[in-house]
Amino acid sequence: MKTALYLTLLVTSLTQVALAQDEFDFPALPAARYRSGQQVLDAFAPISAQTRNSIVEINVNEDTVALGAVVDASGLVLTKASEIRPGKLTCRLANGKEVEAKLLASDEEEDVALVRVKAEGLKPILWATNTVVEGQWAITPGLADTPQAVGIISTLTHKIQPQRALIGVQWSLFTTQPTVEFPIPGFGAEEAGVKSGDVIVSVDGTSVTNRQQVVEILKTFREGQSVQIRFKREEKEFDTSIKLMLLKFSDDVSLRSGGFDEVIEHDTVLEPWQCGGPLVNLDGRAIGLNIARASRVATYALPASLARQILAKLKSKAANLPSDDR
Amino acid sequence: MAVAWSASSWGADSPSSASSLARPFAPHPTRADPKDLPAAFSKNAPSSVADLRAMQDRVSALVSQVSPAVVAVELTNEDGNASGSGVVISADGLVLTAGHVGEWPNHPVTFTFPDGRTAVGKTLGIDEDADTGLMRITEPGPWPHVNVGDMKNAKLGDWALALGHPGGFDAKRSLVVRLGRIIRLMPGVVQTDCTIFPGDSGGPLFDMYGRVIGIHTAITDSTTENFHVSITEFMDTWDELVGRPERPPAYSGLTIMDEGKVCRLTKIDKNSPAARTGLREGDQVLKVNGRHVFASATFERWLAESAAGETLQVEVKRGQKIFDYSIKLQAQPRSPQ
Repeated sequence: MKTALYLTLLVTSLTQVALAQDEFDFPALPAARYRSGQQVLDAFAPISAQTRNSIVEINVNEDTVALGAVVDASGLVLTKASEIRPGKLTCRLANGKEVEAKLLASDEEEDVALVRVKAEGLKPILWATNTVVEGQWAITPGLADTPQAVGIISTLTHKIQPQRALIGVQWSLFTTQPTVEFPIPGFGAEEAGVKSGDVIVSVDGTSVTNRQQVVEILKTFREGQSVQIRFKREEKEFDTSIKLMLLKFSDDVSLRSGGFDEVIEHDTVLEPWQCGGPLVNLDGRAIGLNIARASRVATYALPASLARQILAKLKSKAANLPSDDR
Repeated sequence: MAVAWSASSWGADSPSSASSLARPFAPHPTRADPKDLPAAFSKNAPSSVADLRAMQDRVSALVSQVSPAVVAVELTNEDGNASGSGVVISADGLVLTAGHVGEWPNHPVTFTFPDGRTAVGKTLGIDEDADTGLMRITEPGPWPHVNVGDMKNAKLGDWALALGHPGGFDAKRSLVVRLGRIIRLMPGVVQTDCTIFPGDSGGPLFDMYGRVIGIHTAITDSTTENFHVSITEFMDTWDELVGRPERPPAYSGLTIMDEGKVCRLTKIDKNSPAARTGLREGDQVLKVNGRHVFASATFERWLAESAAGETLQVEVKRGQKIFDYSIKLQAQPRSPQ
């Protein structure tokens, strides 16, 4: 007997179920024939042929962090902003060349960045104009002859609530007071010098006496924003400014996976770095821009209409840059 | 001809089988003919964009066809609120779900349809080993419902559609649709690469004919290890699901007989719940709990699904007038009254 970790699918209860080893001894479908297996992906080759010159792989210090969608023959590319960490930015093209790239502008709200790629012969992605329906193929092409992965459209477009951003403290559970047990390494509180035993006196100018009040006020802040917090240490009080950050729950999902105005949800299983590029239909036209791997069952794409609005905004932002920086 | 499983087919049964009709029949699988499917679905893998397009047309059509019958279910038990998914398989509101979402009989349940409309109902029964569960919408229908299938011709590689409410019902998002293939067929369990998640539990797995062939039950860490209770398990555990035969039926004190197409109240026991209502012998029974009664068997069935303490709403015709009564059901008396 082997015990497999089973999550029963009940929201409120997670139980473990023993699974007999023999159950896995039953014949299985070859992986190449899975929904997104190579034999199935092969059928999508004509779509990849149409789109591969409209896609770039975005590298920071030689690590691939995202895909990008070419939106202008002059080398403008849209991608997922939060994946572009500081470092040397380059792009790999379908012809195998690696070229220099530059971040021009970002839209923090929808997590989209506009990047300039120094290359010629790029083909702008064609945007789809027809409506998206549940059950239609959702194709995530890359630089290869066949797509990265495929799935179907899972829901109609909808809004995604922002994720909770954290200052990064572990509360002391021995008191209802907002007392810090310890600052979580790598988060804003640690950087601001918060120490074990510090007690929060006020948040954003509002006095607080318990943890729940702190949490409620912090809910109104987004990641990247800073919040003024007054602490009491022994008998002295002091003010800090702490930057809020997102907590990464798993390597399987994107760090920034919430707070989008409108998304198309699809069931394609992508690695977080496979986001940022176009999501296309069977005509090879972009129905959206993959913006986050959100959970075991969901990948989000900004719909084409929203992606194009953001593109227009980012282009005008970039036009205001000094000419050397464009 | 495929047998449509709807409220009216109950009424069509002969009254002589009233006792066996007291509990709902296991659903009849709808027949499926591979000739009705685009050829792409029977290949090892689609081989052209034309194949992909044919598949897409079929899948999107299926989504609109079956979605209205998929529900989010919410019930309150000792552990607090539990939520999962389910699927309506009859116009009169039978709902298939997973055993671990359901409960022992007569727990109140709220069902939410994809458009946000809600209906109330109750659990009928579960089989813990098979992880099968059955519930009933108790409000009058007719409810959107889907056909059930069988596993007779199921094979590895068959395409399947998973629906449900991962993470629980979310009004802004509603139902979530996923496509995959059958990866393993085990006794009573189907594995697919349709990714499912807590909250999907009890939701349906459809074949490409739009028939329910499984109910979501479990996952592992791998996105290609998603498990669904096979529909055959529901047929095999049906007696458990519709209530234990040894459970005494609730008592109303009414005797009802069929007279041609009319269903008439022929006897009211003295000192019985019915005797306290104003119902009279000779009344023609029109509706029970808001649903039309076509034969005494229909009445018997609603009674059998009810428990002592519950109320049965009866609408009768007396002369040209219509009357409504509520019967507060009791436990079966020890000796006939």
